Amino acid sequence: MKGLRFLLSRAAQGLIVMFGVSALVFFALFLTGDPAVLMMAPDSTAAEIDAFREAMGFDDPIIVQYGRFLVDALQGDLGSSLRYSRPAMDLLTERLGATALLALSALLWSSLLGFLLGAIAAVRKNSPIDFAIRVISLLGQAVPVFWLALMLIILFSLNLRWLPSSGYGSLSHLVMPSVALGAYYLSAITRLVRSSLIETLGENYVRTARAKGLTEWRIVVRHALRNAMIPVVTLQGMYLASLMGGALVTEIIFAWPGIGRLAVEAIQNRDFPVVQAVVLFAALVFVVANFLVDVAYTWLNPRIRL
Amino acid sequence: MTGSLRIKGNEDAALAVVLLVAAVAFCILVPLAWPLDPLRGDISATFKPPMTVVGDSLHPLGTDQLGRDLLARLGLGTLVSFGIVLIAALISVVLGTALGMIAGYYGGWVDALIMRLVDIQLAVPFILLILLLVSVLGPSMTNLVIVLGLTGWAIFARVARGRTLEVRELEYIDASRAMGLSDMTIIFRHVLPNIIGPQTVLLTLDLPRLIILEASVGFLGLGVQPPMPTLGNLIGEGRSVILIANWLVLYPGLMIGALVIGCNLLGDWLVRRAESKVS
Repeated sequence: MKGLRFLLSRAAQGLIVMFGVSALVFFALFLTGDPAVLMMAPDSTAAEIDAFREAMGFDDPIIVQYGRFLVDALQGDLGSSLRYSRPAMDLLTERLGATALLALSALLWSSLLGFLLGAIAAVRKNSPIDFAIRVISLLGQAVPVFWLALMLIILFSLNLRWLPSSGYGSLSHLVMPSVALGAYYLSAITRLVRSSLIETLGENYVRTARAKGLTEWRIVVRHALRNAMIPVVTLQGMYLASLMGGALVTEIIFAWPGIGRLAVEAIQNRDFPVVQAVVLFAALVFVVANFLVDVAYTWLNPRIRL
Repeated sequence: MTGSLRIKGNEDAALAVVLLVAAVAFCILVPLAWPLDPLRGDISATFKPPMTVVGDSLHPLGTDQLGRDLLARLGLGTLVSFGIVLIAALISVVLGTALGMIAGYYGGWVDALIMRLVDIQLAVPFILLILLLVSVLGPSMTNLVIVLGLTGWAIFARVARGRTLEVRELEYIDASRAMGLSDMTIIFRHVLPNIIGPQTVLLTLDLPRLIILEASVGFLGLGVQPPMPTLGNLIGEGRSVILIANWLVLYPGLMIGALVIGCNLLGDWLVRRAESKVS
């Protein structure tokens, strides 16, 4: 019961956040005063800008415009791309698969490896192998994803000629973007699992398990890991926004046809309806993912289910 | 805490200080003392690899597509990027701490409002929000500082609020209230000193995020505009000539790495020191 109420209140908070983000992306266009001037090419004539303003409904009171924006957005209409003259939503859904493939593959390998490295480091605390893992995770968080990506391209595409430097379509195209994007995440997960597991391994029930004569790995896998996962799962949701940000830059470098590249191209082309759509979508993914984290958290931690 | 752990911790701090002092010295001394111009190049000396001597000037890190000296550009670029990041971080910490204290001290609807703003802020990937705002306002150094500063406040507000909630229950705050001090006096004279420490630690841990964010915006060409160098736009410019001059990408990245590792190690060490004090 308590768990259900917790989840309901989190869902309500998620709705408020989406409402806030919609206001943010809508009113951002009015920061310079006139969105019509903002969106038109710099060499447009005054008559062209006036015609455009009227066509877009920028003459109406701003509150009316925001209401229209909200009602349309709720029906899945996020306006039309100024560049492609197509619904922004269509452009978004076309690119969705590529970004999901990239982000999920990066998330998968880095989580699995991160759990493994974190667990090894925690069990062999203060040993040379712990030190080595620590150095790796420090380095993984030290460099921007775009720099790591360029280094990978220099090594594996230009020098060794093992992997294609950009493009989309085969597994070999996926390797480098996924590695570059997952590296930061790998460091974060490793560090989190290590510190969380070290804390759990000091608990009384772990000492009891040791007294029973269980092997250390059995204790970790069967007893400690589940509790150590609570902070890790909670923080996964927080990291998601940075993962999406990283995907944006990764897609640019590897010419990956995803949402990130769509966003940057739209910003460079002043195609603001598309930018608004991408920001709203990213926030929606973040809110939904964090809600799922809350569900997982309720499941992992029976104390809040009572 | 065991002796061996403490020694290890101090080694971290020493490495952090060495990295940060070296980076700061580099970005102050190079623009001041290095004779070559970071903005003007020698067209007859383009794409010279590191340690090349052209005429009577040595290029320790090589030259770029316009024959400009990379050491000079990297020095100025580091100064510009780190300066932007520090000012933005100060804006974030001041704004976030003030709002967080107000939320924690007053509670009720003020708290609810500010905390929902925090949630909204954290729901949008920073880089996307910054790109949106910079593209609306136009790319300039001032706009970049303001946008980076205004978008980074949320995490500081969340932590300041939590700490204020604890401090608010202490007896001396009751005493200050009984003495008739105004809320603002209590917040800034009696609550603030208690949260400055944790906020400074958080600032150190948040700097790497800002360094990488500023570099990413620069890399995408929406930050400070050329010919002025920054860590990000140096890599962005170098990217297109990576086949013939990979040093243009290599060294700015190493500088970012040094700054980030320095801040991370220092921040972790500060956290551990604060925790060992408590226990």
